[in-house]
Amino acid sequence: MKTLHTIQLIIICLMGMHAGCGQEASPPSSSPEGLVVRYSTLSSKIRGLDPMDIGDTTSSAIGGNIFDCLYQYHYLKRPYQLIPNLAAAMPTVSEDSLTYTIPIRDDVVFFDDECFKATSGKGRGLTAADFIYAWKRIANIKNVSKNWWIFDGRIVGFDEFREYTKTIKDKADVDYSKPVEGLVALNDHLLQIKLKKPWPQLQFMLAHLPTAPVPHEAVNHYGEEILNHPVGTGPFILEDWKRGSKIILSRNPTFRDERYPSEGEPGDKEAGLLTDAGKRLPLIDRAEFLVIQEDQPRWLKFMAGDLDVAGIPKDSFDKVINTNRQLTPEMLAKGIILTKYQTPLTLWYGINMEDPILGTNLPLRRAMNLALNRKEYIKLFANDRAIPARGILPAMFGDFNPELVSPYINYDPQKAKQLLVEAQRIHGGPLPTITMTMGGTDSTARQIGQYLTRTYKAVGLNFQVEYMDWPTSQDKVKNKSAQIYAMGWYADYPDSENFLLLFYGPNGSPGPNNMNYKNAEFDELFEQMGTMPSSPERKALVQKMEQMVIEDLPCILTSHPIAFALHYNWALNRKPHVFGEGHLKYGNIDVERRHKAKTG
Amino acid sequence: MNAITATAADIPETPTRGLWADAWRRVFRNRLALFMSLIVLLYVLVALFVAFGWLANDWDQSVGGSYEPPSTTNMLGTDIFGLSVLRKTLYGTKISMTVALVAALISLAIGVPLGAMAGYFRGIVDEIIVWIYSTLSSIPGLLLVMAFAFVLKDKSLFGQPLRGITVVYLALGLTSWVGICRLIRGEVIKHKQRDYVAAARAYGCPRWRIILLHLIPNVSHLILIDFSLRFVGFIHAEVILSFLGLGVKDEPSWGVMIDDARLELSRDVWWQMAAATAAIFVVSLALNIVSDALRDALDPKLRE
Repeated sequence: MKTLHTIQLIIICLMGMHAGCGQEASPPSSSPEGLVVRYSTLSSKIRGLDPMDIGDTTSSAIGGNIFDCLYQYHYLKRPYQLIPNLAAAMPTVSEDSLTYTIPIRDDVVFFDDECFKATSGKGRGLTAADFIYAWKRIANIKNVSKNWWIFDGRIVGFDEFREYTKTIKDKADVDYSKPVEGLVALNDHLLQIKLKKPWPQLQFMLAHLPTAPVPHEAVNHYGEEILNHPVGTGPFILEDWKRGSKIILSRNPTFRDERYPSEGEPGDKEAGLLTDAGKRLPLIDRAEFLVIQEDQPRWLKFMAGDLDVAGIPKDSFDKVINTNRQLTPEMLAKGIILTKYQTPLTLWYGINMEDPILGTNLPLRRAMNLALNRKEYIKLFANDRAIPARGILPAMFGDFNPELVSPYINYDPQKAKQLLVEAQRIHGGPLPTITMTMGGTDSTARQIGQYLTRTYKAVGLNFQVEYMDWPTSQDKVKNKSAQIYAMGWYADYPDSENFLLLFYGPNGSPGPNNMNYKNAEFDELFEQMGTMPSSPERKALVQKMEQMVIEDLPCILTSHPIAFALHYNWALNRKPHVFGEGHLKYGNIDVERRHKAKTG
Repeated sequence: MNAITATAADIPETPTRGLWADAWRRVFRNRLALFMSLIVLLYVLVALFVAFGWLANDWDQSVGGSYEPPSTTNMLGTDIFGLSVLRKTLYGTKISMTVALVAALISLAIGVPLGAMAGYFRGIVDEIIVWIYSTLSSIPGLLLVMAFAFVLKDKSLFGQPLRGITVVYLALGLTSWVGICRLIRGEVIKHKQRDYVAAARAYGCPRWRIILLHLIPNVSHLILIDFSLRFVGFIHAEVILSFLGLGVKDEPSWGVMIDDARLELSRDVWWQMAAATAAIFVVSLALNIVSDALRDALDPKLRE
């Protein structure tokens, strides 16, 4: 579950750097030791590389190339299609949809590490028990994993295991061999999962990074330091990590035999995306990521040809993109290629529904939505690189409702003023100042705060912004003391459930429903939808729930960003891929072309 | 026994003008300093006019489109929201002057009494005060200010949350009293030996009275010089703190303008940066020249 605040999201969108579109960066004119090296940037520091704790896009961008999941999304086919990764085949599902049996590949080994003392550092083979162990770590309440939501209430006996961990004083004393009825290794390479009720989204979870296997040897050996010593089965190993500065990944020499896809969708062949078809992955030897938080240095490095890939900073956009929304001739002459694509991302300002002023005053929330000029907002802060949001779901979702209409999600300041009169009547007097919690203190955060203050003052609502750093603002959101706050959601998997769970009552703070929205009818429909496979009936339910949300408006919806990603023509096999992690293995570099371009 | 035989002719001739009168005369003879004083006065007037709402109080009203270059309509162009950069610059004058004034007063309010006490009482009082200011002065100034700003941010004082400009006042004031404290301490140690203090003591004057009514007035010229130099430093510090996101947020200060303009330069929007830096440059130059002139004027060694 990747949640990001607005400022980060805007930056990510501008930079075209969310999971899938990559943050690959920059190479010198010649690669060291004749290796194929990809140089990349990260826009923020890595928190840690333990799958159990990974929940942000930056950590996922690295961790996804070190760890593997049971399933992965096909790199080229659209709509997104799950294919086996560590699994040998797609799961066998029982008739009642409650039992999943998954065969696991027998040619997968963890990469060599000193934690494997029994084999003198040589990585051992992957077994079904490794998945059960990794998931039990998530369930262990003493680990305070932010990813328990994945399994909460889903697997037979797993909630009981979590209860058991509550009774243990020290997390090191938790007995991971304690059986869980719904998680059984039938043999070394056969995993069985028993569900409490049908859960069609399980397949997506098995392609989600937190469910990647972790060897118990590494956890026992490194203890708390496991965050800094990832031991996985993925295509790359962590060669070097200078915190806040640089990360180097290098090819995993014991990576299993996985090949570049031989088929894609129409047009892929013509786009050169099948040139490497059938070649063994990964295609590059090394990837270097520089941590550069400022837009301008990153942009200047890209323009100097030191980066393979970059986004476009807000203030450089007009120089790079012409009025037809295409690259300028100067950029084309440099061999730069533009890729535009939609993202599974919605941005909004969350409203704490437990706030005594906002939570009980529907006309006030409606007025605040009506007062916001989304087109102007997007123009000012995203160079028109976003679609004004009319609902929660981005258009790329199958359940997207193009007919969705709300009389309150458009710009109508006159109507907003009228509703504020009604809001005052409900409040029983003049409305107090509404305070927004802004998780950022930089120039962009301040300008957004200034814009919103002006927007609401223009309709007669006293509005102020309190600025603080991101962790402090998150604490305020979690302890329900923020009235309004910047928030966004980048979907983990291509299913509407991933967005709707943000409005499910029992998921209230500190869970993902940080708006603390409670609607009994919505909750009932959500539970009903959660057990249904994709169907027209389910779609109708989803659309009904979305309609309920935009009627109640526990948030001020703003936009669905569109990514504008740039890359040089020597960065090969680049296709926008917005779900899942670990696409570095498909990328390739034409080292000669890069060398020629760099040396003139 | 030696009789007192000195006559009036033996007593050196004292200047006919007092220290202050002589100082003002010398300042007025320095034409450059006079001109710069007028510029400082202009800034003060702008700040007062803004504070009373007579000038630039509509800085948050759009006057045109986004990023319009300077023209006859908008002399210094507009910013991202179409706000007048001229009005923002004028409003920033109020912020800068207020911050510099309040922070300087806070630092003087702390530094002068502590320095006087340390110099007068000596002993354990002196040791404690010297230890505190030695510790503070061992930390690089800007880092200390930033640390205070971080600590004070989002805290409450007398039930009121500390935000923006208040944090700047306090952070600057609480960290910048060391210089004046040290200076006053040294002067008071010197003056303590003088006859007028001994006479006051002999008359049974209480110690607080000696410090407040005798010693401090006699070192007040140093306070004035220090104040004028400190003022410029605080204007710069406010700009740096606001630039770093630790200062003013909801109002246009010069630091905020420079922070906004930093990225705008890459889209050839130079006018906001130019306006803010020019405003800072002119006031800094003027204040420095006036301070220098004051220092010269109040230096007894240079008296005519």
